[in-house]
Amino acid sequence: MDSEAHFAVTKFKTSKPKLYKLAILKDSVRRLSPTVLYKNVVMFIVEICFVIVAVMAIDPSLIPEVSSSTDVSFYIEVAVILLLTVWFSTLSDSIAEAQIKNTASTLRKIEKEVPARKIVSQDRREIAEVTSKQLKKGDLLLIKKGEIVPIDCEVLEGIAMVDESLLTGESVNVRKSVGTTVLGGSLITSDSIIARVSVNPSETFLNRLIKLVESSSRPKTPNERAVSILLAGFTAIFSIIIISILALGVILKLGLDLSVLIALYVSLLPTTIGALLPAIGISGINRMSEKRIIIKSGKAIEAAGDTDSLLLDKTGTITRGTRTATEFIPLGKHTMRDVGEAAFMSSWDDDTPEGKSMVELAYQEGFVPHEFAVIERVKFEEFSASTRKSGANLQEPSDFFLPKGGKGLLQHKRIRRKYDPDSKEDEIDIIKGAPDAIKLATKTVPLNYDNIVDEAAKTGDTIMAIAEGGEIIGLIRLRDEVKPGIKSRIAAIKNMGIKPVMITGDIEATASSISREVGIDDYVSRAKPETKYDLVKKEQARGRIVAMIGDGTNDAPALAASDVGIAMASGTEPAKEAANMVDLESNPAKIIDVVMMGKQILMTRGAVTTFSIANDVAKYFVIVPVMFTAVALSSLSKLNLLHLTPHVAVLSALIFNALIIPFLIPLALRGAEFKPQSAMRIFLKNVFVYGLGGVILPFAGIAAIAFVIVHFGVI
Amino acid sequence: MITASAAFIIVLELGSVVVGGWFLSSYLLSVYSTRKTRLDRIFGPIERSIYYLGGVNPYEEMGWKAYLRAILALNVVEAAIGFVILLIQGSLPLNPMHAPDMSWSLSLNTALSFSSNTDLQHYNGGTALSYLSQMAVIQFLQFTSAATGLCVAIAIFRGLTGKTKGLGNFYVDYTRTIVRVLVPLSGVAALILIFLGVPQSLSGYSVFKTLELGGSEVVKSGPIASLVSIMQLGTNGGGYFGANAANPLTNPSQITNLFELALMMLIPTSLPFLFGRMLGRMKEGRTLIVASYALYIIDIFIAFIPITQIGEGMEVRFGAASSVFWTVTTTAFTTGSVNASLSAFNPLIILAALFGMIIQATPGGIGVGAMYMLMYIIMTVFIVGLMAGRTPEYLGTKINAGDVKLAIVAFLSHPVIILVPTVITFAIGAQAAVGLGTNSISFTQILYEYTSAAANNGSDFLGSAGNTVYFNVSTGIVMWLGRFIPIAVMLAIAGSMVQRKRYASEALRTDTLTFTAVLVVAIFILAVLTFFPFLAIGPILSYLEGFKNGF
Repeated sequence: MDSEAHFAVTKFKTSKPKLYKLAILKDSVRRLSPTVLYKNVVMFIVEICFVIVAVMAIDPSLIPEVSSSTDVSFYIEVAVILLLTVWFSTLSDSIAEAQIKNTASTLRKIEKEVPARKIVSQDRREIAEVTSKQLKKGDLLLIKKGEIVPIDCEVLEGIAMVDESLLTGESVNVRKSVGTTVLGGSLITSDSIIARVSVNPSETFLNRLIKLVESSSRPKTPNERAVSILLAGFTAIFSIIIISILALGVILKLGLDLSVLIALYVSLLPTTIGALLPAIGISGINRMSEKRIIIKSGKAIEAAGDTDSLLLDKTGTITRGTRTATEFIPLGKHTMRDVGEAAFMSSWDDDTPEGKSMVELAYQEGFVPHEFAVIERVKFEEFSASTRKSGANLQEPSDFFLPKGGKGLLQHKRIRRKYDPDSKEDEIDIIKGAPDAIKLATKTVPLNYDNIVDEAAKTGDTIMAIAEGGEIIGLIRLRDEVKPGIKSRIAAIKNMGIKPVMITGDIEATASSISREVGIDDYVSRAKPETKYDLVKKEQARGRIVAMIGDGTNDAPALAASDVGIAMASGTEPAKEAANMVDLESNPAKIIDVVMMGKQILMTRGAVTTFSIANDVAKYFVIVPVMFTAVALSSLSKLNLLHLTPHVAVLSALIFNALIIPFLIPLALRGAEFKPQSAMRIFLKNVFVYGLGGVILPFAGIAAIAFVIVHFGVI
Repeated sequence: MITASAAFIIVLELGSVVVGGWFLSSYLLSVYSTRKTRLDRIFGPIERSIYYLGGVNPYEEMGWKAYLRAILALNVVEAAIGFVILLIQGSLPLNPMHAPDMSWSLSLNTALSFSSNTDLQHYNGGTALSYLSQMAVIQFLQFTSAATGLCVAIAIFRGLTGKTKGLGNFYVDYTRTIVRVLVPLSGVAALILIFLGVPQSLSGYSVFKTLELGGSEVVKSGPIASLVSIMQLGTNGGGYFGANAANPLTNPSQITNLFELALMMLIPTSLPFLFGRMLGRMKEGRTLIVASYALYIIDIFIAFIPITQIGEGMEVRFGAASSVFWTVTTTAFTTGSVNASLSAFNPLIILAALFGMIIQATPGGIGVGAMYMLMYIIMTVFIVGLMAGRTPEYLGTKINAGDVKLAIVAFLSHPVIILVPTVITFAIGAQAAVGLGTNSISFTQILYEYTSAAANNGSDFLGSAGNTVYFNVSTGIVMWLGRFIPIAVMLAIAGSMVQRKRYASEALRTDTLTFTAVLVVAIFILAVLTFFPFLAIGPILSYLEGFKNGF
């Protein structure tokens, strides 16, 4: 068997499997059992009420004092609606759970059985071909260019570029050297490494995270707990009220029917929020997981919504992190065309983003040498992570803390000139790289070279020098491009009252020009790794809640200190341990989504709570005027705003109460609509929609249901 | 309905009280801060000698538990002294009218009533109490209970503003409240009342010959002006006479009527301003004052809805408008003094009175009114604040599950201690002992009795008819629970907040009028949700049945 083909990369499909409707139904019915339901106090009480009314339906004389209605069918109807109310609640739980299981299984697909080369002998000559599932912690592996890393492991020998896009969706090459961790599922794109397996197959980082998503013993977030307490409080208040009415009804002979009282009780209980509270929490985690963000602590979701300060790395978050050529600057007697053509030729085989952008710029400007087709490109010193040996000093272009003007890219190219028969040299060298590095590597340096370079660098751009045949012919201006759409997202963040702070290792000029461009007021330039930690502490000391992202080991202290720390899955192990969220896609810009989703979860919870409590006003006015049937109390019917007969009023209120739950399930699962606005705006809007709407809607809803009941004789 | 002149007087009264409260708050700030003032030279030696005699270390900072323990200890001792004096007043000096010993249950009720700032009276003050009891029990407890209320507010303010390490020192606050606030203010008020015609003497009673041949009338007098001033100023409400402020000797004219009203409104009105001053953000204080006055004005509107305010064949001393205004105010500030008998009123006015006692923050009694408003703010911030998309916070501190739990307990305790005894009363038929049946009017009266007791208001329908062992003991318990459960709970919240981390930014700005409006609606809805069915079968039903003859 051809081993290369065997190791070929297979793309994994991540399409969503359909939710199994039948399974959800079954699960929701299973949850009706009191042994499961008791955890949800409100719904448990509704179920008890169902049992009482069901008993009345079977034989009203069992509870003689308070079953005045001779109409058994009324009791049956009430019982059915009560059961439906509970079922709608368990249904919302089941759907939310099914969704999250679904998301988890999608995530799990990322991890698949992959072939591996296990080193079996001491001298590393003997290699066994096994699969990833057969590996154990401590095994040694050989992983070559073009292969998928079978399992999380630690690099022992070699340096390689690793593409984690299979794992994360974003194609960024990351350089992994001795001591770093490579994640199972990522692709080695250059060189080969020897690595030691750092986990057992069931304990991979990904696996642990997925388990976290799935776990049913998810602890309640602080806020969810507070809402539960509030609901318990309201349940207690209404229980006391109902028991008091019951007692007074009997003593004062108010002509009370227990089933009507129970209907009032259930209507008053915060059933809507009680039913949807678990689903809101679960679906919040699910929405995060769908965005490939794994929450390690529930507290962090809420802290995300509370964020005041957002620390953003310039590179990777605000800018692409790759520099793009924007201008050719000729030096001495050379023209812009000379520089462009040289850049074009030297970059043709260069796969780095910088190289590609030079080709693109030269092509746009029309600087393609007409003799290009006949030039025989002899040798190209490819950019490689291990070029250190060759003497050229290279640095990853995506390295965040890359200092300006120091070591940059140095590339070397020899082109054989076939078209020029007079030329004595049949080869010509073109080299390009950091200005000072080029200066050292060439013989002829233009006058005032250093000054010109400094002048050009003032705008904050990266300057590269290009030399042909040992003479520096010009400079190339490269700019770190701002990500598309980042400006509007920064504006959205600021709208929400969150202060973005940009951190960069760049010099002041670059930092200020980029921050001005995207609209950030605060930035820290020439940042050192420990600057982040200091900044987190400083912002917190001002009473602010800080969110940040990080990937390197030296980010770990800052991640641990921050209120919301998001680690990149591609980052180092300590960083991931310290963070309270992990982004599987390693997309730093996603921190903004995290903040918005955190706010959305809180908002949804508040909106449904407010709505639920506001509903009670209407239900009081519908039921109380008709619930005392004693003659002396007939005057209360003046309060009967909707003019409903007792049975219709009670049934309509109960049906509304039940139906509002499935009606709001989509809201609970999707979250309340969220536009980045100032908190007071959002608040005011929600107060109107859910508060005022919560008072008015039930009147309309109950009236409509009553209309249907009366005119179509549904019940 | 309200006449233009009545409306004008009400607006004028409220306006002058708010202005007065604003000025008073500035003085109160100096009383409760350690800052040196010029008054230290007068009051300093008095306070220091009190600390010395009491063995108090005035520099000791208390946490909420220590503060609460001190409050309870002092109140228990004070109530116990009052209980004993009432029990044996017949054999004690200063008893020119030979008032007999009180029964144990009435002594208990009276001691609990006055020490809890309720002043529910199941006796007729003019005849049932000796001068010693009037001064050493009634007046003494009116000072101490008002001081306790004020101290509670100050401690809670300190906790929420979070500028100190603890909640302060109760003994210091208490001493300073009495020495620097209550005694001087009530002294001045008493002088004004004497000037306006309220008697103050220790000479017993005068006998006047009437125009009728051989007839004579006994006019009881006594230290009335001083009692009236502290009864109103301290939102106590316990009158010298059974008829309270409806008695011409307690409240001789329309002018004294308005002055006494202003007196009871003064300190509760000044506290929101004091809160703003302590916080250094007057706008947060504005939220409290605007919300409580908005509810108060709603309350007045409810009371003025009916065209017939006073029952047919009934008369009230100060005319309908003035009596209605007084009744609303005395319940809105949970004072409980009355200038007309409740049984004369339209049920809707009774509803308005209940409304004030249900909410207790309209603006509520001395100290505790502000406390209840803060409780409502915490609940409202939590319920609706989430909708701003952030963990709810008040004054920069996050509202956590513990705060919600405590605030709910404080809120929940009120309906519990009202509804449970009301139901028990009817269950055991105790209402029959005071001549009530099982109709809606009887129900309203019993509900009112326990609402008044729980809200530490003190106005009631029963009066001296309530002097049965059952009512004395049950209302006594309700009064103390209604007083000290919320105090304990709110002190606990304040104690946990005082050292809590403060965040710089708030999503939900509680110092805006938007929030204030939401707060008012939220309080209104919370009140409706808890009491609507009971109000419906009580005063609302009576009103809908067509009000004719009062209760």
